[in-house]
Amino acid sequence: MSSLLATSIQVAKKDLRLYFRDRTGVILGFLLPIGLVGVFGFVNKMAFGSEGGLSRSTLWYVDEDESEKSQQFLASLRTANTLRLRPRSDDPAETRETLEDKLHDGEAHHCLIIPAGFGASLAGGKLPPLQMLRDPGRDLEGQMISIGLLQGLFAAAGTDSSHLLTARALQLAGLPEAWNDRIQQVSRGFQTSVELLFQEAEEADRRPPSQNQGAEPPEQSTSSGPDFLSIMNGLVPVDYTDFAPPERPKMLSYFLAQSVSGIGVMMLMFGLIACASMLIKEREDGTLPRLMVSPAPRDAYLWGKFLFALIIGAAQLVVLFAFGNLVFDVDVLRDPITLGVVSLAVLVAVTAFGMLVAAWASTIKQAEGVSTLVILTMSALGGAWYPIQTIDLPPLASLATHSTITYWAMTAYQGLFWHGKPWTDPVMLRSMAVLLGFAVVASIAAVWFYRRRYAGRRPA
Amino acid sequence: MTTPTVASTPALLTVKNLSFRYKQQVALREVNFEIDSGEIFGLLGPNGAGKTTTISCVAGLLGQYGGELAFRGSSFRPFESSGDRQHLGVVPQDLALYEDLTARENLEFFGGLVGLRAGDLGQAIQSALILAGLVERADDRVKTYSGGMKRRLNLAIGQLHRPDLLLLDEPTAGVDPQSRNHLFEALERLRQEGRTIVYTTHYMEEAQRLCDRIAIMDRGRVIAVGTASQLADQAGIPGADLERVFLELTGRSLRDG
Repeated sequence: MSSLLATSIQVAKKDLRLYFRDRTGVILGFLLPIGLVGVFGFVNKMAFGSEGGLSRSTLWYVDEDESEKSQQFLASLRTANTLRLRPRSDDPAETRETLEDKLHDGEAHHCLIIPAGFGASLAGGKLPPLQMLRDPGRDLEGQMISIGLLQGLFAAAGTDSSHLLTARALQLAGLPEAWNDRIQQVSRGFQTSVELLFQEAEEADRRPPSQNQGAEPPEQSTSSGPDFLSIMNGLVPVDYTDFAPPERPKMLSYFLAQSVSGIGVMMLMFGLIACASMLIKEREDGTLPRLMVSPAPRDAYLWGKFLFALIIGAAQLVVLFAFGNLVFDVDVLRDPITLGVVSLAVLVAVTAFGMLVAAWASTIKQAEGVSTLVILTMSALGGAWYPIQTIDLPPLASLATHSTITYWAMTAYQGLFWHGKPWTDPVMLRSMAVLLGFAVVASIAAVWFYRRRYAGRRPA
Repeated sequence: MTTPTVASTPALLTVKNLSFRYKQQVALREVNFEIDSGEIFGLLGPNGAGKTTTISCVAGLLGQYGGELAFRGSSFRPFESSGDRQHLGVVPQDLALYEDLTARENLEFFGGLVGLRAGDLGQAIQSALILAGLVERADDRVKTYSGGMKRRLNLAIGQLHRPDLLLLDEPTAGVDPQSRNHLFEALERLRQEGRTIVYTTHYMEEAQRLCDRIAIMDRGRVIAVGTASQLADQAGIPGADLERVFLELTGRSLRDG
């Protein structure tokens, strides 16, 4: 037993000595968890930290009424804790046409039109009709916007809001519109009753606790009734106009399209790093020096690895998208040319990044450490795990997200899968140009490191 | 001390004042020797003498050396020039093979890198397999080979394109007597074909058996060059065997590189 223990300790000591000999690898090993915790903390704080655990939904608007009531309504929407109203009060106003463009480009998913006559309608004791241009696949944001509109309308309608909205709720629950006057009477009576109830509660608060015994509130009813969620969503009368590419599959949701693209890009990066690490393995196995002494151009070995990784990456993408197509109804072949062009840009950028890591690292441990750190950071910041585009980030954080390959890859794939954009669309061209820019910069750096480390500038 | 061979035609390879340092450690100090066409030239020395560094400079693996190299009298810069590297075949000390490929696939790949194509490549592969004694196992994966078979394949790849100068860096390390003998026979065949070979080793009997001339290196310098009998004369012990000459010239203290 003592021999077993002594030998185990000896083996552990040897392994520790080996482990700490690669100092860069050790630093990366410790830096990795710290870096990841930092990145996730940062992103979560940006997304949810200051807003009570909720992410706000961006709502664009145009005020065609420009009345006191509409201003009041908008002021209230600005304070709603589920909304982020755009444009900001000091930004230039939008028009219906510019909002339609934003919807088309994917910059907006819900755009509120406050039509002329909004204020007059509210002043006349009626719930005014609103218009909403929306991307119909963004259900989650739609729910949050409904809550925000309700809050806003409460504030804008003032004391009349409760009976207006109660009447609307009863209509939605099934009472015919012809009964509107009766509904108004009942809702006004209900409002009076509620006010009396609050008065009683305030008086009870002022009494000593001993006098309140036996005054328990009634138990909640457990009987099934109307669908209150849909009633709540419909309380504010909104005419919806849907903007979606006609060829988008009905079963496809925004988050599903986002997941397929995001996980695909992240796994592609992991796969290509592994391919690129073969360069290090060749050196460790002794085959690389043999290649270096052959008369073939030395840079060709780096580009050969690049080509290999590109082919493997393309095969990975084909398998992934085929799976997404079959199982999740992401119609990947809707526009095969755009899919091919976008995928090529993504592959080139990711492969160049993989080559850079492989050329920089001197051991496989270093390559694995730095690539895990960078890939997970880029995935979190770039929106591979959740739609970072829906979060309004401060300038520095926004710069960080825009500095990742993942962000531009996600923008291009979402442009294709969700918004149905062709590769010639400016948004797509910009994304692909940035990806190719990444590829050029990473390739130059990779060649520099490769020549320095492998092509004899110093002993390999 | 050096004794360049006097010849009417320029030597195949001339190494003049070759120096190299790894950071703070000096590996080569003004190394000089010449190699004539058709000879097997031995680089003999204890561990850390600078044999592998010399081979690496000549092979083009290391570039920032001092001194000059010349090939048939013309400047030779294999580190920078792929054309200069075309003259060379290199058999590295470590086995440099793709173990998951077969011998034939390894030969095809490395043959392609040295510019062999189609019919020439097929012919070269067949000759190499015969030289290595691997015709029967040509289509087996290298990882199934014994150490000796891998060593023979390592040699076969280096000479595949019939280079003007074949550099062998301790090709018999860790090889059983049968495989070593087979390697020697292969080298004898190459000598009969008129190939020029640089052979580094620290086995005296190998150097004595194979090499026409030998340079003895120690602590980054060439301390003697000549045939075995010339070296014995230089050491002041005429007729002595190479091992005794070697110890006389390099001393008996341990060398740890």
